[in-house]
Amino acid sequence: MDHDGLTKMTKIEVVVGGTEVPAVRELIQTSGASGFTSVSGVSGLGHGGYHQGNLLFNERDTLALLITVVPDDRAAGLLAGLRPLLEQASGVMFVSDTYVSRPEYFR
Amino acid sequence: MTLVADRSAERALLRADVSLAAKVLAPNWPLGTFIAVNPLGGLEDKPFGDAIETAAGALGARGTLDLTTYREAHAAGRITSADLLGVLARRHPQALSAPAVGLAGRSVPARELLLADLLEGPVSGPPARGVRTLSEQVDPQIADVIDAQTTKWCAAFLDAGQAGWSMPMRDRGFYAAWRALAPQDRTVPATVRGTLRTLPSRADDAVLEALSVLEVADEHRAEYLRAHLTRLPGWSSHVRWHADQGEDITLVDLLALRLSYERALLDTPVAATADPQPLADRHPTTQARARAAIATFDTAQPKDAEVHAVAQVLDLLPARDRELMWQEAYEGHYRDRLLGALTRPLPERSEARPAAQLVCCIDARSEGLRRQLERLGDYDTLGFAGFFAVAIRYHDLAGGRPSALCPVLLSPRNEVHEVPAPGDEARADRQLAGQRALSGVEDGFHAAKDDLISPFALAEAAGWASGPLAAAKTMAAGPYGALRDRLHRRAAPPAPTVVVPQESFGAQERALVAEATLTMMGLTKDFGRVVVLCGHGSTTENNPYESALACGACGGNAGGPNARTAAAILNGDDVREHLAAKGIAIPQDTWFVAAEHDTASDRVTLLDRHLVPESHHDDVAHLEADLREAGRRLSAERSQTLPGAPSGATPGRAARHVRTRGTDWAQVFPEWGLAGNAAFIVGPRAMTRGLDLGRRCFLHSYEADVDPEGSALETILTAPLVVAQWISCQYYFSTVDPVVHGAGSKTIHNVVGGIGVLAGHDGDLKLGLPWQSVADGTRLVHEPMRLLAAVQAPLERIDEIVARNTILQHLFGNDWVALAAREHPTDPWLRHTPRGWQPWTREDQA
Repeated sequence: MDHDGLTKMTKIEVVVGGTEVPAVRELIQTSGASGFTSVSGVSGLGHGGYHQGNLLFNERDTLALLITVVPDDRAAGLLAGLRPLLEQASGVMFVSDTYVSRPEYFR
Repeated sequence: MTLVADRSAERALLRADVSLAAKVLAPNWPLGTFIAVNPLGGLEDKPFGDAIETAAGALGARGTLDLTTYREAHAAGRITSADLLGVLARRHPQALSAPAVGLAGRSVPARELLLADLLEGPVSGPPARGVRTLSEQVDPQIADVIDAQTTKWCAAFLDAGQAGWSMPMRDRGFYAAWRALAPQDRTVPATVRGTLRTLPSRADDAVLEALSVLEVADEHRAEYLRAHLTRLPGWSSHVRWHADQGEDITLVDLLALRLSYERALLDTPVAATADPQPLADRHPTTQARARAAIATFDTAQPKDAEVHAVAQVLDLLPARDRELMWQEAYEGHYRDRLLGALTRPLPERSEARPAAQLVCCIDARSEGLRRQLERLGDYDTLGFAGFFAVAIRYHDLAGGRPSALCPVLLSPRNEVHEVPAPGDEARADRQLAGQRALSGVEDGFHAAKDDLISPFALAEAAGWASGPLAAAKTMAAGPYGALRDRLHRRAAPPAPTVVVPQESFGAQERALVAEATLTMMGLTKDFGRVVVLCGHGSTTENNPYESALACGACGGNAGGPNARTAAAILNGDDVREHLAAKGIAIPQDTWFVAAEHDTASDRVTLLDRHLVPESHHDDVAHLEADLREAGRRLSAERSQTLPGAPSGATPGRAARHVRTRGTDWAQVFPEWGLAGNAAFIVGPRAMTRGLDLGRRCFLHSYEADVDPEGSALETILTAPLVVAQWISCQYYFSTVDPVVHGAGSKTIHNVVGGIGVLAGHDGDLKLGLPWQSVADGTRLVHEPMRLLAAVQAPLERIDEIVARNTILQHLFGNDWVALAAREHPTDPWLRHTPRGWQPWTREDQA
């Protein structure tokens, strides 16, 4: 795939329960990521069955998706922290290559 | 690059370890907005039994009452042998069906041996922390110094405005401020200050450095960090709350402080190890249990073979499960009777239009008010979460700090302002001027009292008045409170005000709020001329825990503003048009009125009376009179259990008495709050109407017929039930372990920094509820039981909802909440189990 002019980085997406979000957020922020995107109330089908998304009066007990993009050399540190967290809590993580047009935003 | 990446990975791994270590600690809210939480909420993904074992090892906390207390309850008839056998049949059927054992010539069935062990067997020892810090092992005095420093710096940084001086460099964040200040703190030795001067600029690096110096092995690191966090679980839990809010203090910062002091204070090589040491088993051996069981059958010198045979039976009931068996029997006794009561034939319902409908919060205390009002006339009452589906940030007329009036499961979604009623702006100005003058006097008095020098001048100037005033507050609390209220009303006469939801709720949002509210509680037809939305609060004097008595659905605040907002929405013409289009036709002559129930005084105040149309004045006046009488009768009912209340008092005298309690600054039992809470009932009021549930049940109205998709039930089970379970667990754990999970005795509490209380002048921030919220002396007023949810709805619908919500799978599947359900009133109650729905009471144990 041609990505002329774009810079390669690592994208990490984490789906966790709302109660785990502060821990994941803290890990991302202290691992050198310059930012993240958080989507609360995500729904979907996983190995544990269907997960309800938005609940009318409970924003805490639904799943959240956190996305961050970091330079490749910072990914290993963050992943080292995320893996034990996800071993103890329900959640999944996706790691993939990505390309950005404004790399200075992510350094 | 590799070194940098390695360091980054080390830091990330450390933070993961800290998160895992903190699972045994729930966030602890500040006292001003006391939020009942499950102190073991982080362990809800484990079965209840495993969670309390984990907490026993980490915190040294009890997870149930002790065997002696259960046995006393058995002797008193509160638990029966049939209750115990019922639990054994469900939990340990293989033990019950074990072969009989021959003892002294007779064949003793397994059930008798198991009962003998439960009733007479040796008790287990108290739980103890399984992993201790190095300083605890080597020199407890050093451990105390670390705790004292933790308390000092946390109290300084987290102060919410109580202290005269704020901590310097607070804006840099906790770790940076402490790192800058601690080396100048002469309360620690110079050598320690020297080490503190060398600390790295990052808190995580400071923790890693200290762990390295203390030689904590990587595989034991999370446990070691937990040992430090659980030394002072109160401060750790409170820091966790701040960290979750994104504030500049985290558990890593806290550990950096603690571990840095530890490495500096333990500056000589130590013989102890930071690795966890196995604790002696606190439970008796099966052999010891067998001998004790045999002794109950008059077998003085049992043969080894007999002991062995009995031990084989008892092995099928592990010693650690015995307290849990008793707990389930204790709960089962209550639950069987409650569900039995809910199985009676339903009372005839009048076809006539009700005189009025009163919608109360689901709070268990509302049950008493509803029951008393229903006895006085043709009233319908309903239950709904007391924030009435409006998650608001409320700005009152005085313009002080706004309040988040919604469950903590939500963030406020709308800003609502209280403003003068049209035409009453001048009166509102007068009220505000009076309030400012009064608060100026009070603030000046308290500031002078709290300052270093001015108390001497204050004593000279105002001492002559303070003494008699204090005597009046103590000896004549009722008249003093009434006088103060009169003075306040005279200085700041209340002006008519309104809330205007249209300013922050869009038309569609108002319509959805109205529709959701009415559908969730099944109030979609047969409206009365007056429908009251009744929030609640509790007015008490000199009570740091006042917020714990207010409405949990309103974030530990009084719910009047929510009721006003919801009533204003439901009285809107455009909203009613929308509802009519959805098949909910509210008659033109139906008026929604807001109210607030003061659970300390049993008074119900109708709010926004000036908005009630003249056509409804008579209806409202009649209702008010009945609410007054219902309140008086409720006072008489509550007075039966309030310590020091006149016994057998008339409703009038009881009403005066409870009002006095609320204004008595020395009263440690202003009311019992939610003590006794035990069940959450979801269904139409017909299920419970006419029953005296003893103010022990959360009642959420629900009509399955108007909720074919199950969305209303899903909302009820994922929000009000979750809040009720937090409340239930808070009361439960504060009762079974008042030292670790509870706040201990109120009588020695000191409020610190406006964020919590200490027992005495130092030590840990206290968690949970004070002893006086759950007990009177040594007598438990709160019976610690996990919540029972009794739901009248199609079982398939419940199954679908549970299947798509992890929180419900944890609560029901891991025994944090018991779930009973039936589809129709005539159906038997069924029990939710991992094997599907089972009869609540099996025939072979009935």
